[in-house]
Amino acid sequence: MLQVLKKVSAEPLGLLGLVLVVLMVASAVLAYWIAPYDPIALNIIDRLQGPSFKHLLGTDQLGRDLFSRVLFGGQVALKVAFISISIALVIGVLLGMVAGFGPKWLDSLIMLFFDTIRSFPTVMFALATVALVGPSLMTVVAVIVVTSIPTYGRVVRTQTLSIKNNEFIKAEQVMGASTARILRVHVLPNVVGPLLILASMDIPTVIALEAGLSFLGMGVKPPTPSWGSILNDGYTLIRNTPWPIVAGSIPLLLVTLGFTFLGESLRDQLDPKLRNNR
Amino acid sequence: MFIYLLKRVSLGLVIVVFAVTLLFCMIHLVPGDPARILLGPRATPEMIAHLSAQMGLDQPMAMQILKFFGNLLRGDLGMDVITNRPVAEIVFGQLPYTLWLIGSAIVGAMLIGIPLGCYSALHRNTWFDRFSGIISVACITAPAFVVALYSLLIFAVWLKWFPAVGAGEPGDFFDQISHLVLPAIAIGISWVGYLSRLVRASMLEVMGENHIRTARAYGLPENTVVYQYALKLAVLPTVTVIGVGMGFLLSAALFTEIVFSRPGIGKLIFDSITTRNYPVVMGSVLVSTIIFVISTAVSDLINAWLDPRIRNSL
Amino acid sequence: MTSSNISKQEPDGLSRRHFLKTTGALGMVAAASSASEVIFADGKKILKVRAYSDLRSMDPAFSQGVVDEEIHSCVYSKLIQYKPGRKWDYVLDAAESIEQASPTTIKFKLKAGIMFSNGYGEMTAEDVQFSYQRIIDENLKSTNKPDWGSLQEVTVDGKYEGTIVFSAPYPPAWNIALPYIVGNIVSKKAWQEAGGKVDTSTPCESGPYLHAEWQPKQRTVLRRNPQWHGGSAEFDEIHILPIDDENSAQIAYEAGDLDYTRVSLGAVGELKSNMPSHTVLEEYPSLFYVWVGMNVENETMANQNLRKAIQHAIDVPSIMQASYFGAAAPSTGIIAPGLTGNRAQGLVPPGANFAKAKEYLAAAGYADGVTVTLDVLNKAANVTTAQVIQATCAQVGITVDVNLHESGAFWSLGDSSSGERYKDIQLILNRYSMAPDPSYATAWFVTSQKGVWNWERFSDAEFDKLESAAKAEVDASKRDTMYQRMQDIMEDSGAYRFLTHEATPVVYSDAIKPAFRPDGLPLFRYFGQG
Repeated sequence: MLQVLKKVSAEPLGLLGLVLVVLMVASAVLAYWIAPYDPIALNIIDRLQGPSFKHLLGTDQLGRDLFSRVLFGGQVALKVAFISISIALVIGVLLGMVAGFGPKWLDSLIMLFFDTIRSFPTVMFALATVALVGPSLMTVVAVIVVTSIPTYGRVVRTQTLSIKNNEFIKAEQVMGASTARILRVHVLPNVVGPLLILASMDIPTVIALEAGLSFLGMGVKPPTPSWGSILNDGYTLIRNTPWPIVAGSIPLLLVTLGFTFLGESLRDQLDPKLRNNR
Repeated sequence: MFIYLLKRVSLGLVIVVFAVTLLFCMIHLVPGDPARILLGPRATPEMIAHLSAQMGLDQPMAMQILKFFGNLLRGDLGMDVITNRPVAEIVFGQLPYTLWLIGSAIVGAMLIGIPLGCYSALHRNTWFDRFSGIISVACITAPAFVVALYSLLIFAVWLKWFPAVGAGEPGDFFDQISHLVLPAIAIGISWVGYLSRLVRASMLEVMGENHIRTARAYGLPENTVVYQYALKLAVLPTVTVIGVGMGFLLSAALFTEIVFSRPGIGKLIFDSITTRNYPVVMGSVLVSTIIFVISTAVSDLINAWLDPRIRNSL
Repeated sequence: MTSSNISKQEPDGLSRRHFLKTTGALGMVAAASSASEVIFADGKKILKVRAYSDLRSMDPAFSQGVVDEEIHSCVYSKLIQYKPGRKWDYVLDAAESIEQASPTTIKFKLKAGIMFSNGYGEMTAEDVQFSYQRIIDENLKSTNKPDWGSLQEVTVDGKYEGTIVFSAPYPPAWNIALPYIVGNIVSKKAWQEAGGKVDTSTPCESGPYLHAEWQPKQRTVLRRNPQWHGGSAEFDEIHILPIDDENSAQIAYEAGDLDYTRVSLGAVGELKSNMPSHTVLEEYPSLFYVWVGMNVENETMANQNLRKAIQHAIDVPSIMQASYFGAAAPSTGIIAPGLTGNRAQGLVPPGANFAKAKEYLAAAGYADGVTVTLDVLNKAANVTTAQVIQATCAQVGITVDVNLHESGAFWSLGDSSSGERYKDIQLILNRYSMAPDPSYATAWFVTSQKGVWNWERFSDAEFDKLESAAKAEVDASKRDTMYQRMQDIMEDSGAYRFLTHEATPVVYSDAIKPAFRPDGLPLFRYFGQG
């Protein structure tokens, strides 16, 4: 792992990505300590100010410090990304293995499920779900989980299928090795690398989706700060002040850029085969 | 080939049926009574019941789904009971706006992205290549609605160069084009980055292949090699990528249409979901799903046709 | 609706306007400063205005409120119309004379020679009879039936004369029926030929403008009616563009795409300090009413002391600043200033009183604090208001958990016919629209509206009695007292914290002379050139 990081940071873009990601993660994790203000404390007299030493990114319509809100918004973005991608990974791996190792009809059914999910534009699926259960972070996570499963599931299924027909595996089966053991010993280690790369490249997409839904008022609950809800404020206030748009978009752009550079660099280091896979 | 085509088409059909059924179920579990929302505060319970019956909401869900597909086979998407217009008319009235938007975004992205990628590939590892690489990735990762917000802020609110709202005067071609510029940029910019990276990568791959090297060895002019052979091969994958990317394009269009208050199928879906106008939701989702499924199928077919390994196994 | 109406395109080819527009787009900067003249295209005077939503129906019986009415009032005639200005009044339109003959009858006489378009002949008292009676016909299921109150029938007394007969006195007829949606007069012959009702097109008109075309989500075009009885309309065409977002509308206005639009309250301050050229900003009061309701049947909120604590913990001036940018004033109830029944003062002052709130909270048994939910529609101003409420309530130990809903879910929250969710409502931030008669406001809070639009599930015998009596009260000052008393009852129950009536700021180009109702709603038929 260390070696990989070393290689990644030897490359300028990889290093840049790594720095951005570390910076963003650190500022989100440390938001509680480094934020100059309480992100939800109102100060209506000071509302809609431009950047100053007092308020680095200005204030919103309720006089809340945008810089502090951006820092805490990072927590939301990262939380959503990591939680939803981890859950999607677990379910994707399981379904992919079942599809690969299970009976043909089950395989077809799972594949149909994957294809169906993929045939909705993600946002449309998200809108319907949010309408169904109401907007909340849990809903966003659920939507991302469901829409990400197919990507991971397919990778695992392909790998499983190729191993299943391996002479060596057939021999092991004859010798009485359980399916679970075969999956654990022979399939899992082979898919971990590609999955991690896919996942790290999915993070920007997921963060952008959370921001998008919050932008439409279908993500976080107020007063929780999210980059998307800051952007939504900015959209309503676009005639009054540009700063909420600037404040909401900069971290969003930086973190997606960081994860993309990092992901690409990881991919180049770990698995050049994946290059044209996406 | 024919069998593959048949397989691909029937798979597409199954997916459409499956997707629509899934959406149907989801939508009918959603709280919120369309009749109530649409009729407004002064509606009596009888009026609400009457409208629900008109929408077919009083029937069991399975029945509604069957009816929907039954009518579909006759080319009937149902009626919007609010304005008493066929849903098909509404959806196909809005669809061209979105297709124009997506189309001009993609064409614009190709016009900029392909030459950029080509140039980068030919001048590999120069400062230009590196710089355009970074810019490209930055473009790819920028979410459409953020680009839309910025272009609205800068070009419409501050500079007032382009109109910000709507799709322009009907029948006035130039007015419509000027309304198209900012939304198309919002959607297209990530594709500029994407295509330039893709073209660069496939150019490099193609240039390394035997027949190109042979062509060069035979002393064909460099320009001929690049534009007649290499570029042609390198551009084809972009076509398939656009097909697969249709889902992203539709999602991006939805955000962009909202930000710019532009008519289109994305805004239609958003509005009809929030007002619970079920017949319109079903119709518009069905049409966009079909577009998506067709474009993926077409790109799969092109891919299959291009890739000899798959072609031979057909 | 036939498709011909939609696909109709203007056959104006490459006109001067095209040329101007094109150079505007290419030369880019030129277009911005050209907003000061009424647009002439092919020598046509065109008024371009914004409506906040698209046309829903051209039939007054199924009109969906303000936006449809803005169009209907241009193309149909009524006996009387709202008078443009700052004070509620009416002017004669199709009526030559009209009077309250007795508490339950209104006599009218039509002007002679009012012609319906498309050859449907002259307007007679029979058309008035048809237009009004069809609204109250059970079989038609008109959504606007309640506006006619106790209307019983219209009798035809002569070719032009008729009597409107009510079963009980109905003073609101003058305010919300005759000059509003259900007062539109349509041609009996044309409507009967169309099968009794029409959709998004109309068979014939009689107003200053004709309904020329409708392009869904794009625009509605009204064209000058050459045979209008009132003379010649000011504009050759009115283009009504549906733009739901006020900011977008303002941007469109500033780009010269519109001659008039309502703007958001947030824009007022900025506009005042930085007014676009050739622009007039006017602020009108509005009739909307916004309040925080509390569900008296909810387990937690049944505690009246808790409700009163919340009344005192909500600081209305802060909300006015944060959500309405100081452009709206606190309200005393649900009936706006200028209308009968408006209260000069409420029982609970607008500013928060934390000491009092804490007293009530202790009396409620929640001295250590309590958590309540606040349901909110996810529009910007509401979300901001909710967060202000959250912050001030927190100061007395009331934790407010905000639930956002998109419109579909929000508008069915308190509906007891669609699930059990109405029971879980604790606090709800609500905003109802209003017509210029107090009866329109109080109608939703009677006991029989519980679970329909009375989401507080408020119920009071005196209130219910007053509600039905005030509707039929002919004496204006008695009526005034009754409506004031009703709002006292509402507020005293603790179930309501009244916030504001908002305001209606509008901008328009000085090339036009607009006309508004006292609440700032546009009366396009009276728009002229500056």
